[in-house]
Amino acid sequence: MATTTATLTLSSDMLSSPINISASTNLAKATITEGLELIEMGRGTITEADGSKTAEFGLPTALGADKAAKLFFVNNSTNPEHYIDIDLHDTNIGRLYAGDWMFIPFGMNDTASEFVIEAEPSGATCPYEFALFQEPQTLVTHS
Amino acid sequence: MATLTPTLTLVSTDATNDELNFSVTDSLTVVAPYTGVAKASVSTTGANNIIQPATDGQTYYVYVKHTGVDASGSTVTTTLNIELTGDVIIGKLAAGEFMWMPVGGHSLGVQLQASSGTIVAEYAYFTKG
Repeated sequence: MATTTATLTLSSDMLSSPINISASTNLAKATITEGLELIEMGRGTITEADGSKTAEFGLPTALGADKAAKLFFVNNSTNPEHYIDIDLHDTNIGRLYAGDWMFIPFGMNDTASEFVIEAEPSGATCPYEFALFQEPQTLVTHS
Repeated sequence: MATLTPTLTLVSTDATNDELNFSVTDSLTVVAPYTGVAKASVSTTGANNIIQPATDGQTYYVYVKHTGVDASGSTVTTTLNIELTGDVIIGKLAAGEFMWMPVGGHSLGVQLQASSGTIVAEYAYFTKG
């Protein structure tokens, strides 16, 4: 059984007293008792001219509704004006600006959870990286 | 304006033969409004558990953690839905898990919904400056 530990810290000077938040968890299968075993990592570049694209890992799979996955995704653009729009299928979630990243639970079990990205504004070019932690998929019979 | 520094570390010694040790950080300019760390006892009706107001063109950075207990303090293993207002599911957190993501570019808020009973969640949001 694999054990992968994710730790998030948030610190800020927005108040007169520093803000420090820390959370840590082992990335687990839906059963909770076992760790996620399949790790997929990659990088790519999307431009505004590409339009709206499903990310490499974003296609719905046969994981099933009772499975778990975690997704890390970062916009590596260095231009502060260039952002990546994040959609789940047709629903816009938010924008990752240059250097911004996200870490979310990812359903990836039906079309509605399709992970879609789009670079903006006009002329934008956004390199990105991702890491997807998921449960093992069922191997298929060779063709 | 203030600076918010989120850092994520992913570590595993046995997921692969080569040790996984990955860390990423960011430096975010944030402004009011924001909510530091707050707790909410989340019910099964998402519309009653809105933790981030609807966006108006701005981007919010949102943190949510499933504490693993219910309103009475008893351990729970039920999942916590992270949703946009209107019951659009973004993802599900199991007990002890957390998420960090930007929300914005539309006019929706963020709400939480327990799959059953109640779940105590920790959350925070910050407005991009």
